[in-house]
Amino acid sequence: MASQILPLELIDRCIGSKIWVIMKSEREFTGTLLGFDDYVNIVLEDVTEFETTLQGVKKTKLAQTLLNGSNIAMLIPGSNGPEDS
Amino acid sequence: MDDSPRPPSEQSPPPPPPPAQLHTGSPTDFLKGVVGKRVIVRLTSGVDYKGVLSCLDGFMNIALEQTEEHVNGVVTNKYGDAFIRGNNVLYISAAETL
Amino acid sequence: MDASVTGIQEPFDLIRLSLSERVYVKLRGDRELTGILHAYDGHMNLIMSDVEETIMIVDPEGASNGRGVVNVAKRKMDMLFVRGDGVILVSPPSRT
Repeated sequence: MASQILPLELIDRCIGSKIWVIMKSEREFTGTLLGFDDYVNIVLEDVTEFETTLQGVKKTKLAQTLLNGSNIAMLIPGSNGPEDS
Repeated sequence: MDDSPRPPSEQSPPPPPPPAQLHTGSPTDFLKGVVGKRVIVRLTSGVDYKGVLSCLDGFMNIALEQTEEHVNGVVTNKYGDAFIRGNNVLYISAAETL
Repeated sequence: MDASVTGIQEPFDLIRLSLSERVYVKLRGDRELTGILHAYDGHMNLIMSDVEETIMIVDPEGASNGRGVVNVAKRKMDMLFVRGDGVILVSPPSRT
């Protein structure tokens, strides 16, 4: 039996590190993870928002930001985001 | 006066552990710090509301003061007070240093 | 109880203080309402009277400046129930 780790335990270990957040829509965020709660609402610092539109990708810089968990699809720990690949 | 304060001896109980600074960055802590400050609220539709955060609740329903509605970077409306229903909220971002 | 202008404890206080007042309501689907607020609940279901509805209809075909033409339709209702899940924003009359 492999030792179990809960998904949110993994995210908890990422606090203080860079994280890449992919929303259900054509929107992504990167920043430093400061914290989160059971709904996976997420607090980020030094944030960049990437919004993919027909015109291209629009980037917005943000300070401390609370992301509503209900729109989050995926989290990629330790990543600097779409421009890092 | 033999009651001079004793130096802390090894018999004194160990100091209590510092208050657990669990997640100083949790959503609740962020919101406590940002009430009364200027914020940007972006809805999932992409519309922004910039104003002073009066208060909010567990549904992310928000009361804003001195609110400006921005669509594509253009001010499209101004409200003295505004109630925003939480299900529309994409994020709340600090617009001044916390 | 501190009922001063800014003395609101939770967002719904803003709505409670707007009862019997004319409010502006922004709804999903580019709809806007102004009317007298009579009742609300925790879902933001609303009862309003003397309502004017404004519907923005964007016609991308009729574009002259590349941004489409916005047609505005207006109509009036005496009494209206608004289902809460369509509500985006409610703004009370400015208390100055």
